[in-house]
Formats: sequence, C-alpha cells, structure tokens
Amino acid sequence: MFKIVERKELNPTVTKLVIEAPLVAKKAQPGQFIIVRAMEDSERIPLTVADYDREAGTVTIIFQIVGGSTMELNELREGDSVHDFVGPLGVASHLDGLKKVAVVGGGVGCAIAYPIAKKLHELGCEVHSIVGFRNKDLVILEDEFKACSDKLVMMTDDGSHGQKGVVTAPLEELIQSGENYDEVIAIGPLVMMKFVCLTTKKYDVKTVVSMNPIMIDGTGMCGGCRLTVGGETKFACVDGPDFDGHLVDFDEAMQRGSMYKDFETHAREEHCNLFKKDVQ
Amino acid sequence: MALHNMDPKRCPMPSQEPNVRNKNFKEVALGYTPEMAVNEAKRCLGCKNKPCQTGCPVGIDIPSFIGKVAEEDFEGAYQVLSASSALPAVCGRVCPQETQCEGKCVRGIKGESVGIGRLERFVADWHREHNTTAPTVPESNGHKVAIIGAGPSGLTAAGDLAKLGYKVTVYEALHLAGGVLVYGIPEFRLPKAIVQQEIEGLQAMGVDIETNMVIGKVLTIDELMHDYGYEAVYVASGAGLPRFMGIPGESLKGVYSANEYLTRVNLMKAYKEGSKTPIKKSKNVAVVGGGNVAMDAARSAKRLGAENVYIVYRRGMEELPARKEEVEHAEEEGIIFKILTNPVRVLGDENGCVKGMECVEMELGEPDDSGRRRPVEKKDSNFVLDVDTMIMSIGTSPNPLIRSTTPGLETNRHGCIVTNGDDGLTSREGVYAGGDAVTGAATVILAMGAGKHAAKAIHEYIQSKNK
Repeated sequence: MFKIVERKELNPTVTKLVIEAPLVAKKAQPGQFIIVRAMEDSERIPLTVADYDREAGTVTIIFQIVGGSTMELNELREGDSVHDFVGPLGVASHLDGLKKVAVVGGGVGCAIAYPIAKKLHELGCEVHSIVGFRNKDLVILEDEFKACSDKLVMMTDDGSHGQKGVVTAPLEELIQSGENYDEVIAIGPLVMMKFVCLTTKKYDVKTVVSMNPIMIDGTGMCGGCRLTVGGETKFACVDGPDFDGHLVDFDEAMQRGSMYKDFETHAREEHCNLFKKDVQ
Repeated sequence: MALHNMDPKRCPMPSQEPNVRNKNFKEVALGYTPEMAVNEAKRCLGCKNKPCQTGCPVGIDIPSFIGKVAEEDFEGAYQVLSASSALPAVCGRVCPQETQCEGKCVRGIKGESVGIGRLERFVADWHREHNTTAPTVPESNGHKVAIIGAGPSGLTAAGDLAKLGYKVTVYEALHLAGGVLVYGIPEFRLPKAIVQQEIEGLQAMGVDIETNMVIGKVLTIDELMHDYGYEAVYVASGAGLPRFMGIPGESLKGVYSANEYLTRVNLMKAYKEGSKTPIKKSKNVAVVGGGNVAMDAARSAKRLGAENVYIVYRRGMEELPARKEEVEHAEEEGIIFKILTNPVRVLGDENGCVKGMECVEMELGEPDDSGRRRPVEKKDSNFVLDVDTMIMSIGTSPNPLIRSTTPGLETNRHGCIVTNGDDGLTSREGVYAGGDAVTGAATVILAMGAGKHAAKAIHEYIQSKNK
C-alpha cells in the first residue's frame, strides 16, 4: 500500500496526487511512468511520473478523470493509500546535450511535459514551451511552466486564456521566425502529437513524442502496448514511451487506443451511477 | 501389508462434463475421493529401484508417499511430498506426468501407469483441507538471499533456502506472486486460491515476498548485493516477452499475444462479471500455436462465450507440443483443430478490427534441426478463416530488463542467461539463474527443478565462503 500524502484538484477534471514511494522516487527520471491500481480489484493503469522528490521519498502523478479507473483513483483522499504502485518504468527521456528545445504540451499531457521542461531548464537548455488547453478552466501548471521556460505560449481552443487556436500554429511561427530547435518534444493527445509531427517534418526538425497506448503489466510481457515505429513493432512500455515522432504510425496508434471504447463508456456510466447513489 | 490392486487401468478421476465446463471457469478435474486415492495407491508395486523418482525433476520419493496413501496415512504422505516439492498441489495438476514420473512407471508397461500426479494432488489437497498445525519456522542461519521472480522456480528455491535457515526475500514485478501460475494457467486448470495457499505456506515459513518490484528498474542486482547485503541472488524472472509473427495486420484491434489475453483473464479476472479490466467478447477466435499456452488461451476464449475457437497450427496433430491430456480436453470442449495451417495475413475492417485471417495450407517435409518434420507451404492453397479475434501463442523469450541492467551477466543470442551446468551459476559470482530465464519457455516442473538445484548450489556457495 502506498500512502497519498497530498491531493490537489488542478482543474475540474485533473487531479494531482503526491504518493509515498521512496524506492520509486529514488530512481525516477523525467519521461518514465508508473503503473497504479487504486484498489484491490482495480485495473492496472499507466500514468507518467509528473515529479519526484528523492529526499521526501514521494512521486507525483497527475491524471485526467476519463473513465472508471481514474474516477476510482480520484475518490481517494489525502491519507488514503493506493493498492499498488509500480515503477519507474520505461526509458527516461534523453535530454543531455540539448541546447534549445520547444516543449509542446496539450491538456493533461502538460503534466508530463512539465518535468521535462523543468529538467531541460536545469540542464541549461533554452526552453520554449507551447501549452494548449480546451479553455481557461482547464489550464494547469501555468506558473510552473513560466518558471522553467525562456518563452511560454499559452493557447486555448476558444481563446478564453492566452491566444486562440491550436499549438501547431505558434510552433510553426516560431520555426519560421528562425528559431533553430535541436528538438521538439510533444506530449498530449495522439491527434495533437500527430499534427505537431506533420508540422515539424516540413522543416525537418527532430521531434520526440511520448506515446500513451493501452497497457497491462508495463514490463514487456504482453505486447498490448505495441506500436509501429519506422515499420518495426515496438513495445511502448520497455522501448519507450518516447519515440521519434516522424517514425510513429499515429493512425494505427489511434485505432488501437479505441479497442475498449464500449467497455470504457459502460464502466464510466456504471461508476457515475454508483457515485450518484452514494451522494443521495 | 496391503494387497496390491492389479487392475491394469488406473482409477478414473471425476471431472465436469465437457459441455458444462466449457461455459464456466471452475476446475475441470474434480480430484479423487479418499477411497479412490487409496484404491489407486494400491496399484503401486513399490519398486525398490524407483524408476518413477528418476523421472521427477524435483526427485520426490514417489513409492514412499504412495505407500503412505495406501495405508491411509495422508498427512504422512504429505510430509514425504513436501520434503521435495514446494508446490505439490500445483505440480499434481500441471506437470506433464506422462513424460516424467508416470512415463517411467513399471505398471505402464503392461497397462496404465499409476496415477502419480492425481495422488500427489489428492494428498496436497487433503493436507490443505485438514491441516491445522502451523508450519515450523526454521532456525535462522544469519544469511540473506534475494530471489528475483515469484514464479515456480523462484518459489521452489525460496522454500528450499528457507528450510535451510536463510532469510529469503522474493522480488516480484506484478502485484501478485505466482508468476505463470497466476497470470498464465487458467483457473479451470489451476484454481488461484490453491496457488495463494501454497504461497502463504512459504510466507509462514518466513519467506518475504515483495510485490510491485521490477528488478532492473527499481533496484538492480548490484544494489541488492552491495547495498542490501544479499550474499547471493537467484534470477528466476522467466521468459515473458511474447513473440509475434511479423505478418501484416498484427496491429489490428483483436490481435492479442496469449500472454496479454491470459493475463487479462487470469490475473485481472476479466472473465468475471463486473471486472474492471476489459477483454474482447469474441465470436470466432483463432489461436495460433500448438503448445499448452495455446490450449489454455483457446479453452479460455470458449468459456468467454466464443462460438468457434480454432487452434491454428502449422504441423500435424502428432507434433502438437501441448500435453496430450490438454489437447483431449480442448477437443472435448469443442475446440476446432486447423492443423497444417499457417497464417500469412490478418484482415481488418474499416474500424481497424480483425475480420479474418488469411492462411495457407502446409505439408510436412524433411526433419529440421529440432528433429521435427519441417512444414512447407502448399502453393496456391490460400484461404480465409472467418475470425474476429486472433491470439498469438508462438512462444516467448526472456525479458531484457535484467540482462540490460546487470553488467557482466552473460546471455546467449536468444537473450537467455548463460549458466554453468546444473547448479545455475552465471558469469557473475554469487548470481544464480534458472527456469525459463535460462532455458527459454519450458515447463513449471523443470523450472522448479532448476530452483531446487540452484538453492543447493547457493547453500554450498555461502557455506564455503563463510568457512
């Protein structure tokens, strides 16, 4: 059992949990993930390490409430424990030697982009962050990004905060204006990462994406998380989750991501119904 | 002296009717009653040279335990079993006895061999149901050993070392101990409650089991030895990395590795109503491969409600690597065998879901390196099998996590850890390995045998070092 030492709702659909897991905290690196099970009968779900404190022995996860399992996780309070917490898993992001990077985050993907921006900043790299959200109410980690970015572009779909539009527009402008990025790091919904890659490909700017396929064990024993990268089958949990975005088959990844859509919709409804009953 | 039962046939074991059991996940074989067990035990001739014992990878004194069953001393029989085996209730169920102990039984020459596996199972179950005394915790010898992987090999080594007084910690990556016994072998062959109780037995002997610990990620072998003070490490991390065929369409929705399918069903209990882990509800399923894992996947798919389940295998019925009993059970339950058939392409619909599997017919040519006749494609024999789910069960190889984080650990081109002879010593001092991590995918009992040998070698190593 792993104790929740802090819980904070970052916006109505995104929650941050700081979890006591000293061994994981000791080894975690930006780009790695953990597998969590909220309760004894819960599903195993992967979540990226959003932050870690080696001295306090804690690991921070930030998740969006999208279905039954994240609803279950969201019901836990400070002082409660998650049943299982495994990690750090996956390969850490390769950040050494980068001089100038555009970090592009979309929605809850910003929770994963942030530790990378922060680490790059610490390494002395020039960081331009472009973060996008649906609207003002869903914005997370704005101050944190400000603190570690040499330039921060805030985008919302409806223009309620920062500029109106999607993240690819400012990215393309920056590239066109002559910013020579060593690398673009994009983390967010698959469709966003796909369009970031289509944009950067035109200018031949190396682009790394953090993939988020369905996982069970997270240790390489089932292949449920397989992706096609450069024509080869890769397991995101052991070979990734970071990959060269120009080589990833995004359409296939999007299709595979919808495998259990009906089940998930059903689970979400069931859970909402249960929740309503509790409230009454 | 009990009179021998000279019936040439063994006492049959009651089991669920095929058409009933293929709709539930309850255990197929129901086990002997005490009367049946005693009757079957009396078929044992009590040979002096004990050929059956030489066929057992963990060397159980078989005539001795069966003799006690014949005398109705079931607890005494259990004591004989547990002196050699850490998991008798498991082995009695899943060992391929026909090629091991029972294959060597003298009674098998002129009739059916003694049902050694069934008797082992009976004794272990009887003990579990009747035993009330707590196991004795062995006296500590002050030495610490770490074991990586809580599968059959790791658990056997843990049991043997604990009996010798070692403080043993088993590190397991998943949230439950048991390895293939919990994620791979289905409930209808091996009830998980039995695995759990055998594991609790080890814990009662003082073995610590740390779950959620992925060695190679959260801790390395070097850290275990230098920072945590383990004098020896036994690597029993298995061969869990699934292979795919590399044919077009393998990324379509509805193509599973057998490991994923079985992990969802067994470990995550996706077969249960209300499970929070999903599994595809299939109508027509093709399982590619012919081993025990393929049989388990096919029989699970049938129980999850599939109408047609095919085993697609490129060689013939004679060459199926699965146990004969498992093949028979699968046939009885309505699994369809498409032998001499090989998939070449998976076909998808507009939503990216599997809608068929293109196959070719095969014929058997000259024997290959493995001594089996090599399957050769028949020209222009392509046809499409109408399926919505495909489960790949063509083998697994060892996970790269340990070898990639342990400097100086020698592995071969298949990724298997190289060991020196039977004792399991690797290229690193104090580091031993065994089970599927060394051999590649094999059987539960061979893994247990390797665990026994390694435990003995580790004991000798630590004793000689501390002289």
